[in-house]
Formats: sequence, structure tokens, C-alpha cells
Amino acid sequence: MSAPLPQACAAMLRRDLTLAWRRRGDLAMPVLYAVIVAVLFPFALGPDLALLQRIAGGVVLVTVLLAMLLALDGMFASDIEDGSLEQLVLAPQPLALMLGMKILAHWITTALPLLVIAPLLAGMLHLPLPAMPALLLALLLATPLLSLLGAVLVALTAGTRRSGMLLALMLLPLCVPVVIFAAGAVAAAQEGLPWFAPVAWLSAALVLAVVLSPLACAAALRIALDA
Amino acid sequence: MSKWIPLWLHKLGSPPTFYRFARTVRPWAMGLALLFGVIGLYGGLVLAPPDYQQGDAYRIIFIHVPSAWMSMFVYAMMGVSGFVALVWRIKLAEVVAMESAPIGAAFTFITLVTGSLWGKPMWGTWWTWDARLTSELVLLFLYLGVIGLYHAFEDRRQGARAASFLAIIGIINVPIVHYSVDWWNTLHQGTTVNLFGHSKMPWEMLWPLLAMTLATKFYYAASLCRRAGTDILALEGGKDWVREIAQAEAGR
Repeated sequence: MSAPLPQACAAMLRRDLTLAWRRRGDLAMPVLYAVIVAVLFPFALGPDLALLQRIAGGVVLVTVLLAMLLALDGMFASDIEDGSLEQLVLAPQPLALMLGMKILAHWITTALPLLVIAPLLAGMLHLPLPAMPALLLALLLATPLLSLLGAVLVALTAGTRRSGMLLALMLLPLCVPVVIFAAGAVAAAQEGLPWFAPVAWLSAALVLAVVLSPLACAAALRIALDA
Repeated sequence: MSKWIPLWLHKLGSPPTFYRFARTVRPWAMGLALLFGVIGLYGGLVLAPPDYQQGDAYRIIFIHVPSAWMSMFVYAMMGVSGFVALVWRIKLAEVVAMESAPIGAAFTFITLVTGSLWGKPMWGTWWTWDARLTSELVLLFLYLGVIGLYHAFEDRRQGARAASFLAIIGIINVPIVHYSVDWWNTLHQGTTVNLFGHSKMPWEMLWPLLAMTLATKFYYAASLCRRAGTDILALEGGKDWVREIAQAEAGR
């Protein structure tokens, strides 16, 4: 007798969030990393206000992306180690849905703290205030997109031991359009232009990814675990 | 007539048959590649008139354009055979997909290098973040990702399947590369050669280009036959037909 779907989804989400909460120290790592990277930029480029204002949006976007990439590696790592991922593959509930919940939990634990810290980083780099909503909205759409795209690649590398650099190499082509549209929205807002179009593109991509990416992730995981 | 083609294809899927087929095809493909290459290069570098604006510098297109076409063609081949490998689990399709990747990466690299060599005198810059250039660079990273993922697995067949999946995801970039000059009106020029319509290019310049295109196609075939043949020998090592070949080689 298998649990009904909503309960199974809730249990999956609760389990992953509890596990993440028990190791709160790890949650702070991507945030710390993002702060360090963002702080280094003014040192490297000099504290020229006009220059910092111009690059602030892009720097925050790339910093958040790199911090997410850092955390992406561990999305399935502990579950593969203790074998619970294989149990999940065998479970009667659809694998794609369960993986979708895992991705959601991962986004909540890594991307949400980054979203909270992003306005602070942007403020430190003197991003003009009118551009702030655009940056936050772009990040709000871009980070789940990256989580979803990254999950497929993490699933593909599930059977390998060294995957850190490889993951970056594989994710780069997929995240180029995301960065282009997110940065486009921020740049347009900074120049006082309408920035709805790039945000609409990001939303469309996100909707597509929410539907397709868990399915692709499930397929990739079956390939990678099928030894 | 209608029956022997699928039958022949099924037979070709078996490694020993493919190995023999590849060994027969390879010298012919290589010979044709060299022949068309020499004709195309002679036509392009010597016979074709200089361009009224660019002078002789335009002649790099005889390398650049065929390589760029091949970078997309090989990716499409890799994606299709990767799809076949995943759906029907044909070992040969995995081999073809994975051995296409380094060839395609090489063509992409040549495209980027010749393009930037031409860009310096013509555009005044080695590199610009134009849509066509960026998407071609992304294509190179896709190739490298596929190669890297393939080699990250200890089990080669598992690695081939995972990398095939990545190749299928990345195939979305091929139309983006192709249509980038139509969708974004940036520095790279638009389509000049049109297979099914009027090409905006005089025949004296067009025929060497087409000859070079054939040369690169045949080179790909020859290189793929060689690489896939070697890979199959390594994969099937220990089987009877490989042992027979090895003994025949040792006996010579």
C-alpha cells in the first residue's frame, strides 16, 4: 500500500528540509562565498562609484550563480552514499515528482538565503535603487531555473566520483541564456527602459523547465545509476 | 529493394560487420577528402578572384565556412546517434556519438580560430560578443562537456549513455547557432550561401566552397571510421573476431 501522492511529496520535502536544517552550518557556506566574491570586486576594480554602479547587477548575478554552482554538487551526494536515492528510484511514486520535490528543497535551502543577501550585495556595490526590484525579480526567476537545469546535470554525473569542475563545464552552456536575460532585465531597469520583456522570457523558460526538467532529471538518474 | 536497406542497416549495427565496413570505406573517404580538398583549395586560393572590398583576406572562408557547417552537422549527427543509442541501446550508436564529439570539437575550434584571424583585419577585433560568435563558443563548451562526461565514468557504456543524454539536451543550441544571424542583427554577416535558392555569391567563389564542404564531409567520414573502428576493437577486446584480427596482425 503506497502513500498518496500529496503526502509522499510533503514527506519528501519535509525530510530534505529537516536534513538541511540539522546541518545548518553548510547552509551558510554559499552565502559566505557570495559575500566574499562580491567584496573582492571593489578591491580589484577600485572603489570608483560610476564603475561599480554599472557592473553591480551583473556581478551580483554571476556571484549568485557561482554560489549556487558550489552547492549544486551536493544535491544528491549524501543520498547516493547512503543508498536512499536508489530506494527513491524503486518507490511506487513517480520519480520525476519526487525529484521535483528534492529540487524544490534544494532551492529553498541554497537559493533563498542568497536571495535574502542579494540586496545587501547590490547595495555594497551601489546598485541604483530603481534597479533593485528588477534584480530581485530576475534572481527570483533565474535561481529556480538554475536549480532545475543543474539538477539534470547533477543527476547525469551521479555515477561518477569527480564531478565538480565537470559540472561547471556542463552547466555553462545551459546558463548562458539565463544570465543574458537576467542581466538584460537589470541593465534595462538601470537605464530607465522597460524591463518586462527579458523577465517574461525568463518566466517562460522557468515554466518550461518546471515541467520538463524533473522528467529529464529522472531519465538522467536512471541512466547514471544503471550500472 | 525495400527490404535489403533495413536488413543491411541491422547487419551494420553488429560490431564485426561495422569494423569490416569501416575498414573498407576509410581509404576511399580519405582519398575523396584529399581530392576535393586539393581541388577546393586550388580553386579558392588561386583561381577565385579577389573580393572587391576585402581583397585576398576573404579567402579564409574556404576553411572557415565548411568547418562551421561541419561543427553543426557533426553535433546533429552526435545528437541523433545519441538518441538512437539511448532508445534502442545499440552499442555502435554509442560509439559513433562519442567518437564524433572530438571531431566536432576540432571543427568548432577551427571555426573560432579562423574567424578570429579574419576578424582582426576586417572587424578590427579578435573577438566580439556577437550572437553567432557566442553561440559557436557555447557549442564548443557543449562538445567539451560531452567529452568530459564520457570520460568521467569508469564504465564506458554508461558514460556513453550519460554523455548522449547531455548531447541531446544541448542539440537545442544548433538551431540557435544557425539562425543567430537572422534573429539578432549584430556584427557577423547573414546567410550568403543558400542551398535551395539564390546564393549571393559568384560561381567562381561558390564552387571551391562547395568542394571544400565535400572535402570536410568526407574527412569526417574517414576520421569517424578510423576512430569508431579503433574504439570498437577496444570495447570488444577479448571476443573471438577481435582475437582473429589481432592474430592476423601479429602474423604479418
